[in-house]
Amino acid sequence: MIETIEHLGLGLSVAFTLQNVFFCFLGCLIGTLVGVLPGVGPVATISILLPVTLSLDPTGALIMLAGIYYGAQYGGSTTAILVNIPGEATAVVTAIDGHEMAKKGQAGLALGLAAIGSFIAGTFATIVIAALATPMTKLGLLFGPAEYFSLMIMGLVLAVVLAHGSLTKALAMIVAGVLLSCVGADMETGRERMTFGLHMLTDGIEFVALAMGIFGFGEIFKNLADPEKRDVMRGKIGRLLPTFGELRHNLGAIARGTGLGSVLGVLPGNGAILAPFASYALEKRISDRPQDFGKGVPQAVAGPESANNAGAQTSFIPLLTLGLPPNAVMALMVGAMMIQGIVPGPQVIENSPDLFWGLVASMWIGNLMLVVINLPLIGVWVKLLKVPYRLLFPAIVAFCCIGLFSISNDPAQVMMAGVLGLLGFALYKLQFEAAPLALGFVLGRLLEEKLRQALIISDGSMTTFLTSPLSLGLLLVGAVALTIAVLPSIRRSRDEIFVED
Amino acid sequence: MLTFTRRFVLGVTAATLALSALPAMAQDYPSKPVTLVVSYAAGGGTDAIARVFATRLEKALGGRVIVENRPGAAANIGTEVVAKADPDGYTLLIGNQGPMVVNPHIFNLRHDPAEALDPVAMIADAQLVLVVGPRLPVKSMSEFLDKAKAQQLIYGSAGNASASHVATLLMGQTAGIDLKHVPYKGAGPAVNDLVGGHVDFMVTTVPSVIGLIQNGTLTALAVTGKERFAALPDVPTADESGLTGYSASAWYGLLGPKGLPEDVRAKLAEGTAEALADPAFIESLQKDGGVPSNLVGQDFADFMAAERTRWGEVVKAADIKVE
Repeated sequence: MIETIEHLGLGLSVAFTLQNVFFCFLGCLIGTLVGVLPGVGPVATISILLPVTLSLDPTGALIMLAGIYYGAQYGGSTTAILVNIPGEATAVVTAIDGHEMAKKGQAGLALGLAAIGSFIAGTFATIVIAALATPMTKLGLLFGPAEYFSLMIMGLVLAVVLAHGSLTKALAMIVAGVLLSCVGADMETGRERMTFGLHMLTDGIEFVALAMGIFGFGEIFKNLADPEKRDVMRGKIGRLLPTFGELRHNLGAIARGTGLGSVLGVLPGNGAILAPFASYALEKRISDRPQDFGKGVPQAVAGPESANNAGAQTSFIPLLTLGLPPNAVMALMVGAMMIQGIVPGPQVIENSPDLFWGLVASMWIGNLMLVVINLPLIGVWVKLLKVPYRLLFPAIVAFCCIGLFSISNDPAQVMMAGVLGLLGFALYKLQFEAAPLALGFVLGRLLEEKLRQALIISDGSMTTFLTSPLSLGLLLVGAVALTIAVLPSIRRSRDEIFVED
Repeated sequence: MLTFTRRFVLGVTAATLALSALPAMAQDYPSKPVTLVVSYAAGGGTDAIARVFATRLEKALGGRVIVENRPGAAANIGTEVVAKADPDGYTLLIGNQGPMVVNPHIFNLRHDPAEALDPVAMIADAQLVLVVGPRLPVKSMSEFLDKAKAQQLIYGSAGNASASHVATLLMGQTAGIDLKHVPYKGAGPAVNDLVGGHVDFMVTTVPSVIGLIQNGTLTALAVTGKERFAALPDVPTADESGLTGYSASAWYGLLGPKGLPEDVRAKLAEGTAEALADPAFIESLQKDGGVPSNLVGQDFADFMAAERTRWGEVVKAADIKVE
């Protein structure tokens, strides 16, 4: 404990130099801006800035890049809430109730809760990293392909709970999402599946193209087809910041989301994407008004946003303790470390303690910065909603197209998102929800990958999922959740809600 | 009147074309930014080497060099982009082992790299390293081979037909052992499962595991090159430790579309040689696990042809062809 405090003290002394605070601020600001722009993600930004970091000192460079990463996570939520475009998988959940809140004139409340929840989550996750990095690393390593597969199964069950309409439709959407994730070259044989011979489908559908299409373009088609509903929303703006009472109401959700996110963030292969989904499912399960979820419940924004930010932070643990990047952004951070002559791995903590602890401490400073940058910006973002839609939507489309093009410097992604936009509009017309589809899509990839890896290792024996205690436990949790979901009484209440709609 | 107009228009067009073609001539090459295509997403090993190389080439040529990532289809998209570009020296490719010599044996390529591309110069050679994790506690290559003969070992790779995969295939074929392949999406998740004890071993790039080797989490049994690697002086080569004749390395070279003007090509080769003579460049290459390796023009082409034959046999024996 005392050691932890000493370490954090060292970190703070490194991070609180004028230079490093400046880099932290710069990173957070750039991150927020690229996060807000739909489609322009942290991966593109960091890879552009990578050569620039050569001339900086290692600590400052990494602090800035880390700032871009969590700044972008936060900025992405802003776009999700305001215009219903989740730029990253983790923002899909925020968009569900966040955008509904914005429509009800509570955009300020949603953004404020997201900012404050993220700050609390970030503070807690920083302490987790400082105190528990090593044991958390071991937890992450326990998840081999079999355990991971069972975790994904559990995640898919949770996806059913995400839906607020018909259970059958939600299941259909999840399966459709999993099927969409199977498009592209087979990971084991390289054979193309469901690509119709189209070159642009060889590598499967990009998540950004799916999100921009189904959510972004779909929403635009929807608004253009239905101008009246849109104008109602435009009239109301509401208060900008949450009151103390509102904050207290959401504190439980924030705390639960933070806990879930902190644990799931450590898992290899980007387990952090499960965090907001799990938090949403949990909040809905324990809420006394589950039927309101999906129509703009503050807890459904505060919880997942906290989970998202905590996960984004603890996903640094495998990078810091093992030098293993769990996602593309972290891979770039490894690149940045190597450019600076630091070999990422377990020895960083011993060889360069000032860099390690400085980076950890800067995460907390970064979270503070994000609140400082974003609370005043909320007013600006909300005013954005006042921009006449005929001017706003071409701008959104333009930014989306730029973002889509930048994925692989190829117009194919833009076309793909356009087609998926039509699909999104069709889903809306037929009253299917897009969120379970997105989750099925995200988890489907990992599901297939881990299933096949587990089966290769076990020589095709399915018992591998039951002989590992961890895997068995996860499957049981999933089974229990599914049973609850299909219990007749609950199903009846679901159907009632559906009829109300 | 109509014919006159058409002739006039044609004349103007021809003149414009001639004028715009002028700056492409070598004496003032490069007169506009040069695009260096990388067939992988930003952040990987090839990308890192390309970006460091681009800054050096910029200095040598005295003009802007922009790295453009065109990932996709097992790196075949990048090859195609450059194969279809004008051979004016403004679109170049960082080519490496996979798309240049392995993929032609696996995929039905629309553009055969040997026919559609002009090799300018080789830049670097990056050997791989065989590492074992907690699941397979052996200390030497001979122990490893004994174990592999007694039971089927499981290895992770960065993906189907990746350098890490084909190098392990060759190892199995050289040693006459049967190995089980678990493909991952990239080296990161595969190393993670190696550290977690879910697979036995892995052949991977040095930078992806060097920290874990130095700290003792993973044990390096052999490097795959012809010589030992400077940062791992105690690790023998595979050839030294019982796999006689074995060598595998990921290499990187500069290529352009077929038909590069001879003087542009010479200028680029000169620029590459200049970059490779810079100690700072050599140092950053080493951080990315590479050593400078300069083969120019026909020598580079011959090297690729030999590599292509060699890996063709490996791939054929393992039967990993697509379609």
